[in-house]
Amino acid sequence: MPDQGDATGGTYGTEGARTAPSAVRVEGLWKRFGEQVAVAGIDLELPAGKFIGLVGPNGAGKTTTLSMVTGLLRPDMGRVLVAGHDVWADPTEVKARIGVLPEGLRLFERLSGRELLGYMGRLRGLAGEETDKRATQLLDILDLAGSQHKLVVDYSTGMRKKIGLAAALLHNPEVLFLDEPFEGVDPVSAQTIRGVLERYTASGATVVFSSHVMELVESLCDWVAVMAAGRIRAAGPLADVRGSAPSLQAAFLELVGAHGRATAGDSLDWLGGNSGKAGDAENSATVAR
Amino acid sequence: MSAPTAPAGATGAARTAGTAAGAAAAAAPPALTPIFLRIKLSLLRNGLKGSSKRKAAYFSTLALALVVGFFMTLGLGLLHGSAHAGTVVVLLAAVLALGWAFMPLFFPTGDETLDPSRLVMLPLRPRPLVRALLAASLVGIGPLFTLCLAIGSVIAVARGAAGAAAAVVAVPLLLLGCVTLARAVATANVRLLTSRKGRDLALLSGLVIAVGAQLANFAGQSLFEAGGLAKLEPVEAVVQWLPPATAVAMVDSVSGGAYGRAAAQLVLTVAAVAGLMWSWERSLTKLMVTPDGSTIAASGPVKDRGAAGGGFWSLMPGGRTGASMQRSLRYVVRDPKTKSAWVTALAIGLIVPVFNALQGTGSVYLGSFGAGMLGVQMYNQFGQDTSAFWMVAQTISNTRDAYVELRARAAALALVTVPYTVLVTAVTAALVDDWQAFPAGVGVALALLGSMLCTGALASARFAYSIPTDGAFKNVAPGQGGLAWGGIAAGMLTSALVCAPVIALAIWLNTAEHRDMSWVVLPIGVAWGWLATWAGLRLAAPTVSRKLPEILLAVSKG
Repeated sequence: MPDQGDATGGTYGTEGARTAPSAVRVEGLWKRFGEQVAVAGIDLELPAGKFIGLVGPNGAGKTTTLSMVTGLLRPDMGRVLVAGHDVWADPTEVKARIGVLPEGLRLFERLSGRELLGYMGRLRGLAGEETDKRATQLLDILDLAGSQHKLVVDYSTGMRKKIGLAAALLHNPEVLFLDEPFEGVDPVSAQTIRGVLERYTASGATVVFSSHVMELVESLCDWVAVMAAGRIRAAGPLADVRGSAPSLQAAFLELVGAHGRATAGDSLDWLGGNSGKAGDAENSATVAR
Repeated sequence: MSAPTAPAGATGAARTAGTAAGAAAAAAPPALTPIFLRIKLSLLRNGLKGSSKRKAAYFSTLALALVVGFFMTLGLGLLHGSAHAGTVVVLLAAVLALGWAFMPLFFPTGDETLDPSRLVMLPLRPRPLVRALLAASLVGIGPLFTLCLAIGSVIAVARGAAGAAAAVVAVPLLLLGCVTLARAVATANVRLLTSRKGRDLALLSGLVIAVGAQLANFAGQSLFEAGGLAKLEPVEAVVQWLPPATAVAMVDSVSGGAYGRAAAQLVLTVAAVAGLMWSWERSLTKLMVTPDGSTIAASGPVKDRGAAGGGFWSLMPGGRTGASMQRSLRYVVRDPKTKSAWVTALAIGLIVPVFNALQGTGSVYLGSFGAGMLGVQMYNQFGQDTSAFWMVAQTISNTRDAYVELRARAAALALVTVPYTVLVTAVTAALVDDWQAFPAGVGVALALLGSMLCTGALASARFAYSIPTDGAFKNVAPGQGGLAWGGIAAGMLTSALVCAPVIALAIWLNTAEHRDMSWVVLPIGVAWGWLATWAGLRLAAPTVSRKLPEILLAVSKG
């Protein structure tokens, strides 16, 4: 397992950088909310053309990091380069190259799905006809054609994620940032989203997404960065981060130091009769796909 | 009744109390009523716990209700023996009942003891449940206030021993009638209330209040003229047969010796209360044993919204300008908060000049009232987007983008406001028969609109704040009140200063015997407004493009 446990944070992913130019370069990124340090100095280099997973427990700082990288949140310190352009100094170059699907922010919910895409395309400077053509194709492939005239406010979680993804893809960005794109999404929609993303990365584009579902990250990503308590604990190709551990889940728990908590179930020995199924709780909790 | 508006503490209390109720019900079924009363009281208590603001609000409401209730009881008591006492109390009872019937639709107060969806999982029989819910819904400020008015009403009309006896029966009947009416209507509509459409409806209550207050103001003025009350007698003739106003009418009939009529009114009242209880129980039972169909209904066939290139929208310019204008205008129609603010502005902007004109105090220049009210909509443009502003922020990468975005929003506002202002000013001019001042009136209004758009753009850039999407009266997120009001107050003041030269010109032309020249205010006002808007947008654009993350943070607290 390379680079793990380095709390001060060095530049990660040098191996990825050798094989491909970096899509995103983060240098000394800091963010503090009052007393709470959300992101405590991150250095990271994400290789281009990869499916990259940013994993970590809740509150690790994934959303804050992605918000700062995409220009939605101003960092206290540090620099972010996307495709060689500084996010804060050169927004024109950056904003045209990235697509974003944030978590916890609304969409324009009083527009129908199709109207939302038409609106975003025109805001992005695409011609009306081209926008409508792309919107039709995206709605089709994301299985939203049947609800394209329904208001987004009446969409389910999965449909919202899909229309958000469509809006993020509309201008054909080089790098796509997705914050928890599979959270609360049903398996059918998840498979649809997966298919679209795999096709997109196959064409040489980069996807960066955050998640705390390890199986998902393991099955999708070829490059991962593990975050905990505002710092990067490990980063690199999936196989390297996983190391000798049987699964990414095990490697992750070891990295964030959460091992041993699963067995602390003695005080609940009355629960579920007396058949001693202590191990099952952990398994069922992770079968989220 | 909507769960999100309920305080977190109260929700927790409901859950634990609900479990306790369930356990108790299983053990001893008849004791449901005291349990519900206890839940209601602990919910009230817990809702107040820890929040001094809520405590203050609750106790001041209670004090206000008591004071108003006391004085209304006193006032009604003083009506005793008056010729119009019967008319007043019967109509008052009808208004009270109407209030009870419709208030829950517009003001879902989050009374969780009455929310059937929280009781669904508990093993409860409908009849005892209705009894317990009825008892619980009699606890509160509303019922207390109603009780005061009911007592005052019967004092006003009861005469003699028979009248007093009828009064004793009438008070609980009126109270029960009001409460069961409210519960029956709310329970029958609970699916609507908990659906998105119902929540949208509730958000329009601000509009009902604002416009209602204006109309009531003007209606009251004409009613309190001499002989105004006599106009209401034909209405009373009908309303005295409508339950639960029949309860009060019965007391009047008994006191007047019309025992036959009184008996009929009593039967009607009791039948109505029983009928309402029955319908309440029925819809409650139905609600608790059938699955929530709201999502099924929503997935039905949907009409094709504004198919591409359709009619009006095809006239919009291309690119960001057209897209932003289109979205702004769609939000006016579809977003309940925006709609509420716009309809209020449009209605009051019309009511004030027209009603003043009808009462002989009108002036063409009052037409600018509507322009000013609509101009306020330019303030906090990005707050109106809520956190969806990130989608706009993602596409603004330089000052030019920010300028075009602001310009499109101002254009959408002007697209409605300019013709509206011209129309209202024309109607006012026709009513006060002062066509000579019409061009000057439009000129002043448009200069005002322009300066509002100017300061509105600047305030949007510098004083952005969140507008919570729930709660009709919550227009500012907690902690941002000062920012919001400061921004609006400073903006209004600046607007007044910006268009002061045009207003001064209009006044001078009017007073200095140059009325025939007052038409020059129109071109000057238009040019002035145009220039002010342009300058405001130009000044605001760099701030917007520089402070995108800060604006997003400020508007995402809702």
